[in-house]
Amino acid sequence: MISNRMKTALAIFLFLAFASVGAWAQMGSSMDADSAAIKQSVAAWSAAWNSHDAHATAMKYTEDGDFTNTTGIPSHGWKALEDHYNEIFTTFLKDAHRTDSVRSIRFLNADTASVDIDWQMTGAKTRDGKDVPIRKGLLTWIVTKHNGEWMIAIYHETAF
Amino acid sequence: MLFKASLAALVVLVFSGVGAQAQMASGHDADTAAIKQFVAGFADTWNNHDARGVAAHYVEDGDFTSIKGEPSHGRKELEDHYTTIFSTFLKNAHTTDTVKTIRFLGPDLASVDLDWLVNEPSAPGGVLRKGLLTWVLTKRNGQWMILVYHEFSF
Repeated sequence: MISNRMKTALAIFLFLAFASVGAWAQMGSSMDADSAAIKQSVAAWSAAWNSHDAHATAMKYTEDGDFTNTTGIPSHGWKALEDHYNEIFTTFLKDAHRTDSVRSIRFLNADTASVDIDWQMTGAKTRDGKDVPIRKGLLTWIVTKHNGEWMIAIYHETAF
Repeated sequence: MLFKASLAALVVLVFSGVGAQAQMASGHDADTAAIKQFVAGFADTWNNHDARGVAAHYVEDGDFTSIKGEPSHGRKELEDHYTTIFSTFLKNAHTTDTVKTIRFLGPDLASVDLDWLVNEPSAPGGVLRKGLLTWVLTKRNGQWMILVYHEFSF
């Protein structure tokens, strides 16, 4: 009886020990997979943006996602985000095309990462309708993983 | 004996998980206050033009990116960066950093937006920079520190 209990206890201890060692070991290799998945999410977001699909672009955020534009004006949540993208895609960014390339990824925990992305845009106009030859700058995102998919929790952008 | 110990360990693990969830909400007020204090301490150090002191507000491998997208990584580079700016174009500058929003990403992780104003006597209207700072902070041994720092000038 005692030896059975001891076996159970030992089994539980071993399980816990291996689970935690396993989790550590997995973190390194899963970071490669997560980096790849994050790059894919960035590419999918870019594609949605370049299709000027406001709904699809907004859906790459978490439901309570935060966007702040280059002049510091925020949009919070899917509804406000979609409205924001609808507005820019029907006005001064109607003919714009963007290129985004991931510069760095820093994991903040297992399902949160900070991502810096170099961006460039052609075809943009100023708010009063003048052509802008090229816009470029940096996007800084906080992304979080939901059911295996990385989504934008917080989005900031700057233009150089 | 071993069985009891392992049972106790399991109970502790389960309850600490539940406890952590419950604590998160009430801990936010205290953390919000601590973060605001940290921001004020950072601005004071910055305004003393203490490069080493400012760099010490970052974690050892902290990341800073300037308004032009130029990065500094780790305490050594950070201190060098601040030494350069405090001895050149920001020699007479004064920063005012006001917390705009705090969004907790976990019990020891937060994203903080700050309204940012840098005054400099020779700048037009005395304003050299006006914009937004966005920080990712992490709590280490009870102390909030900068993990990732970005700045945006409008």
